[in-house]
Amino acid sequence: MMFERVTVFCFAASYAVAFVAELLQLLRPRPVLRLVSVGFGCAGLLAHTIFLAVQRPGLASRDGYLLFLSWILAVFYLYGTLHHRKIAWGLFVLPLVLGLVGLAVLFTPERPAVEDSWLPPLFWVHVLLLLLAAVGVCVAFVASVMYLVHARRLKSKTLPGQGLKFLSLERLEEMHRRAIVLAFPLLTAGVVVGMALLAQSPRPVQTWTDPRVLLAVALWLVFGVLLYLRYSLHVRGRRVAILTIVAFVLLLVTLAVPHTLGGGGAP
Amino acid sequence: MLVAVGCSYRNTPVEMRERLAFGADKLGRALDELRVRYDCEAVIISTCNRVELYLARPGATVAPDAALIAEFLAETHGLPADQVRPHLYEHRNADAVRHLLRVAASLDSLIIGEGQIAGQVRQAYEAAHAREAVVGPLLNHLFQHAARVAKRVRTETGIARGKVSVSSAAVDYVREVFSHFDDKTILVIGAGKMGGLTLKHLRRLQPKRILVTNRSPEKAEAVAHGCGGQAVPWAELDNALARADIVLSTTGAPQPIVTPERWEKVLTQRKKGSVVILDIAVPRDFDPRLHDGDRTWLFNIDDLKRIRDATLQERLRHVAPAEAIVEAETERFVKDWARRRIGPVIERLIQGCDAKRQAIVQHVHKKLNGKLTEEERKYLEKMFQRLQNQILDGPISALTEEMLQEEAHRGHTLLEALRKLFGLHE
Repeated sequence: MMFERVTVFCFAASYAVAFVAELLQLLRPRPVLRLVSVGFGCAGLLAHTIFLAVQRPGLASRDGYLLFLSWILAVFYLYGTLHHRKIAWGLFVLPLVLGLVGLAVLFTPERPAVEDSWLPPLFWVHVLLLLLAAVGVCVAFVASVMYLVHARRLKSKTLPGQGLKFLSLERLEEMHRRAIVLAFPLLTAGVVVGMALLAQSPRPVQTWTDPRVLLAVALWLVFGVLLYLRYSLHVRGRRVAILTIVAFVLLLVTLAVPHTLGGGGAP
Repeated sequence: MLVAVGCSYRNTPVEMRERLAFGADKLGRALDELRVRYDCEAVIISTCNRVELYLARPGATVAPDAALIAEFLAETHGLPADQVRPHLYEHRNADAVRHLLRVAASLDSLIIGEGQIAGQVRQAYEAAHAREAVVGPLLNHLFQHAARVAKRVRTETGIARGKVSVSSAAVDYVREVFSHFDDKTILVIGAGKMGGLTLKHLRRLQPKRILVTNRSPEKAEAVAHGCGGQAVPWAELDNALARADIVLSTTGAPQPIVTPERWEKVLTQRKKGSVVILDIAVPRDFDPRLHDGDRTWLFNIDDLKRIRDATLQERLRHVAPAEAIVEAETERFVKDWARRRIGPVIERLIQGCDAKRQAIVQHVHKKLNGKLTEEERKYLEKMFQRLQNQILDGPISALTEEMLQEEAHRGHTLLEALRKLFGLHE
């Protein structure tokens, strides 16, 4: 069947072309470049969707998890590009999508020691919660990077409307706030469910010291600090944005480390 | 015959422009007087940057010149004519058309691309049009054409893009930081004229609250009353600064009123996020070191002027395409008008020739009755038609050519000759 021939390369290449068109648009603004960017972005998302539907990479595996995460962010990219037509949305979201797809390619497709169907339902709740929390972290990361770039431009008093176009700092802060407010409860619930799963593990001592478990807890702590700074100490702006980037890096490291639970796959 | 006589900011000082300007009271009388005195169509454009009279006498070979108009202006405004004449420029026919199109398209404005002039040209036309018999076919056609060209230039080139006033540029910076304004507090410090203009722009954002403070409580009250705000005592400035999201400062203080040390204290009181300070006072009211690129965004008059300069620089890039449009539209108008002018004459000429040709063809048919086949009859008619076309082609082309040339407007020699030769009377 034709759909079975859709590979990671198909959608990664489409996203890459969309990104290049966004870059060219920055250098020489032309409506046609925006059309090319959106067109290839749509094509990439379609191919990505077909790939996930046909190839069905396991959500419990690192590569599958990253491909699902990048798919959600590709939807976020397309929504943002169409909704904020004048904003340099793709320049910030597409590298993230491409980076996650690239990271997924780095990990050879893993087959979990235990078949997916044998994994307990609680495991899937854990995976889903952490996937959605990861989406929140990624969105907060994008908002933070945009905030920092925009704040830097304003600090140097770049003329409004010159070069890249951004949402206002207030809108970016709001986007960041919503992302972390949604991500933190999901992350907390995901970590709690993960701990419950660990408690049932036949080798509890080894699994508690698993680097991925420790990194997930560290991520949760960073998020806790982030919320404390934001809501208790009313810290805003650059410092919160930088801490969000730290949280995102921690997320990436967490995703890159293999997991003992579920045979090395799951988050 | 079309003539444009006037003066503008380019060659006339503001004092003289003010004296030559037509207020609403003088305008109507002047238009009527021009019509009666010179038997012409008239439109007067009177703005703070220019006073121009457009006079038209379609079909005539002469029209008032700058010297006559200088006398008229001097009489109307009670000035010596020799003081007025040196300031006047004069454009005739195609040059007058081109000049009006450039004016309406804002290519002759002090700030290129400004949006007001097109409206002012339209108002001048409407004011003349409202009076009986002041505007005729030529100026009707010309001013409507000018309005279309102005619109075309604005939409097809980037000449009107961007902000050129300091006060609207200030709003651009505010919008880079904030999106929602229904929860924002604007604090106005001082009561300068520029501050009033900027506040007018900021009020359009519909903020939640406007606070006004001034060393003089009366002035603060007056400004607050004018903008629907609330006056705050000068002694409570720090408290007001802590509550504000947007600060507009425009005092005449010789020293900065907010130093970094004072601002530090204000920041400790603040529970809100970013604050945008628009310091349009000269000398500056806020120490420039307050701009930290994190919580405090300070933009002073120089930053705002940079926006205006960049906009004007950008607009200059669009002048050449705009001029090309004006040139093409001038040519189009002149050709179109020439066709309108000679159209009836040519129509009568052709009708006359047609009637004579048909009479001759009928006569030939009678003479050769029954000797020609249907095909031969048609061929004969076709040949007569071709002969007529070839005879008329030369005069019509020459006439059109003459009408398109400026010299023709002075004499219309061929048109007159054609009328006499072929007996074409109005």
